[in-house]
Amino acid sequence: MTPLADTPAVELDDEPARRELERSWARRPGMYGWLSVTTHQAIGLRYIVTAFIFLLAGGVEALLMRLQLAHADNHVLSADKYNQIFTVHGSTMMFLFAVPVMEGMGVYLVPLMLGTRNVAFPRLNAFGYWMYVIGGLFLYWGLFTNTGPDVGWFAYTPLSGPQFSPGKRVDVWAQMITFTEISAMCVAAELAATVMKMRAPGMSLNRIPMYCWAMLVQSLMVLFAMPAIMVASNIFLLTDRTIGTHFSNPAEGGDPLLYQHVFWFFGHPEVYIIFIPALGMVSSIMDTNCRRTIFGYPAMVLSLVATAFIGFGLWVHHMFATGLPQIGEAYFTAASMMIAIASGVQIFCWLATMWTGRIRMNTAMHFVLGFIFIFVMGGLTGVMLAAIPLDLQVHDTFFVVAHFHYVLIGGALFPLFGAFHHWFGKFTGRMMDESLGKLSFWVLFVGFNLTFFPMHILGLKGMTRRIYTYQAEMGWDPANLLATIGAFVIAAGGVLFIWNVVKSWNTGVMAGDNPWSSGTFEWAATSPPRPYNFVYLPAATSRYPLWTLPKERVAVTGLRNDRREVLVTSIMDGEPQHRYVLPGPSIWPLLLSVLTTIGLIGSVFQFQWYYLGMVLATIGLLGWFWQRKPADIEP
Amino acid sequence: MTAQRTLDVSHLPMFEISSNAPLWWGQIFLAFIEGTMFCILIAMYFYIRLNVDVWPPPGIQLPHELLPAIELALLIASCAGSYIASEAAKKNDRGGIIGGMVLNVVLALAALALRAAAWHSWNFRWDSGAYGSITWAILFLHTLDVVADLIFTLALVFFAAFGAYGPRVRLGVHVDSVVWYFLVAIWIPLYVTVYWGPHIVGAP
Repeated sequence: MTPLADTPAVELDDEPARRELERSWARRPGMYGWLSVTTHQAIGLRYIVTAFIFLLAGGVEALLMRLQLAHADNHVLSADKYNQIFTVHGSTMMFLFAVPVMEGMGVYLVPLMLGTRNVAFPRLNAFGYWMYVIGGLFLYWGLFTNTGPDVGWFAYTPLSGPQFSPGKRVDVWAQMITFTEISAMCVAAELAATVMKMRAPGMSLNRIPMYCWAMLVQSLMVLFAMPAIMVASNIFLLTDRTIGTHFSNPAEGGDPLLYQHVFWFFGHPEVYIIFIPALGMVSSIMDTNCRRTIFGYPAMVLSLVATAFIGFGLWVHHMFATGLPQIGEAYFTAASMMIAIASGVQIFCWLATMWTGRIRMNTAMHFVLGFIFIFVMGGLTGVMLAAIPLDLQVHDTFFVVAHFHYVLIGGALFPLFGAFHHWFGKFTGRMMDESLGKLSFWVLFVGFNLTFFPMHILGLKGMTRRIYTYQAEMGWDPANLLATIGAFVIAAGGVLFIWNVVKSWNTGVMAGDNPWSSGTFEWAATSPPRPYNFVYLPAATSRYPLWTLPKERVAVTGLRNDRREVLVTSIMDGEPQHRYVLPGPSIWPLLLSVLTTIGLIGSVFQFQWYYLGMVLATIGLLGWFWQRKPADIEP
Repeated sequence: MTAQRTLDVSHLPMFEISSNAPLWWGQIFLAFIEGTMFCILIAMYFYIRLNVDVWPPPGIQLPHELLPAIELALLIASCAGSYIASEAAKKNDRGGIIGGMVLNVVLALAALALRAAAWHSWNFRWDSGAYGSITWAILFLHTLDVVADLIFTLALVFFAAFGAYGPRVRLGVHVDSVVWYFLVAIWIPLYVTVYWGPHIVGAP
């Protein structure tokens, strides 16, 4: 490839190119156009908005639980309703909020940051979104028809098996998993392919923005972790319940513990699937707002990769109380402590970045600092729980509840909120209100600690998880009341945040292309970006291309603009290899998801619907592949 | 109008039919997913075996030996068809594509017929004990994948012969061959597990 530094400077006329791109990337008119969109900005935004709606639902469920537990012998909810609500709360937050919102942010941001026009497989992207929406609606249909799952978000056998959970509640849960996992795997495959093959020319491995590294690592984790939950929920649980297989029936040679192994082989990496994108967000916010390059880029990337690897070797620490051999458990203790090294490297690199940078304390930075505080606390209880004696003592108590809310809310939700404030200008063209943003941060931060810190104490005092009420003589009242008050403070913070979003979306200050003076490509596009992102695809001349002088930047020419053409580059060095035409709008992703749904939901009630579903899905895929002769592509 | 340094890419080829295509990588990632699933099933087979003294459980006949071995040989041979088709796709040889894929499908169908015959002779079902559950699950899921891939191979034959033949179809043929190599390769450990498992880790 020609060295980028030697290319000649020419006068580029944007207008004709812009007009052609507007035409070739236009959406079809009307409702049909809305349903057949395949551009990543539209689908990413839909993912994010949908996920936030599910966050609200999950939050309301949390408030109901806190109301029920506010004092001893309370009867806001019956035991049965409480079981359904905590299960749906956990399932919503994990499968319908945390993973999809991270995927949605990735779908929106990754192509922009890499300097390309769309994800590698735009129709697959749309299909994944529709599957996710249908799966989420299916779970809530269950909850509202008193068919909500009531066996915890991990649905352990034998409780969830045919013997102890008759009815359709568990099947609804298991099939919701199928929908959301299909969605997550679609996004993972397309994002990984996009990061590997569709980067800007010149963007070698050591110039990939940290956030894109995080999404690549997360995507690869999804590819190896999610099949396990498909095996657990679908091959195990559903077939045991519907056609009488015996995977978890000890009387016929099966083993309920096997379910736990397979579930946690997914379940532990799942935590990192949520957490690693958040690490990428923190790095992006950090370098922009410390106004310097991120400290220790190679160490940061390697520790991301190390986290992903070690994350697959921890699953048994969820099963310390199951009576597995001690020597095996000791290995998982060591691995659990080892992962703190990888996380620690990241934390220290961020501290060094802040130490040597000039910090701008905006709302996003507040959330990032809040993240470091809360996540370090969650990490410390994590190291404590990795020790088997302590784990046996507090297993299944509120200590564990406190720990994982510190890790997940601190480790994922705070960075996400920070990222939302950081990129809101890019998403909508307007800035979030800073004073309101900082106020909502402080309310959320105080509310969070008020809610979850007392749970450590409750757990040490012996309050177990998933109990719908307790007796007054246990002495758990004050801490529980404090937690309930905290939950409503969090809710107030949430209302402030939503108010800020609505207000800023309508009347916020115009953002301009690069309001924070960031260095990565997403800020070279207009705010909000046009469907094609860039008139001329950019080339990467450094790790922070927008921090180089304008005369040193390079634009890619020679791509045809009358069709959706993009550039494919090499994996290692980002050298241009060939041109590629992405598909346009299509209604088939939606049709295929509906056809698949018929089989998946039907099979909850009668297994034979699977076969119908397979036939219908085949028809849908053939329709998807069918194409009229593309006159402008020579064979 | 601004003066900018430019990188002209108009000389680059369209739609490279090789592992440089994003679609090729997408297919590799889908193979990761399927491969992980099958590996977990193999692990489950041996985990379940640890729980019982007698393997396979009493009353269950040992699986056929000859038919599955011939089937495996046929599946491996059918990769030749895929290879011919994918090389033809790279050289833009429409006849070679169709011929290769037809060879692939014919050999695969013969293998599936043998698989069906051996499967039919089993005297146990998925609901007769955990041994039945895991062996049926492995066989059912792999067969499902194979049948799905054959349907889409036939669709590609149709597109190549009568449809909008072009670089997209050629790329499709190339990645379809990757899927087929994967399905055959993953069948080797699955075959060993299902058909040799009872001999290797079995106890009367």
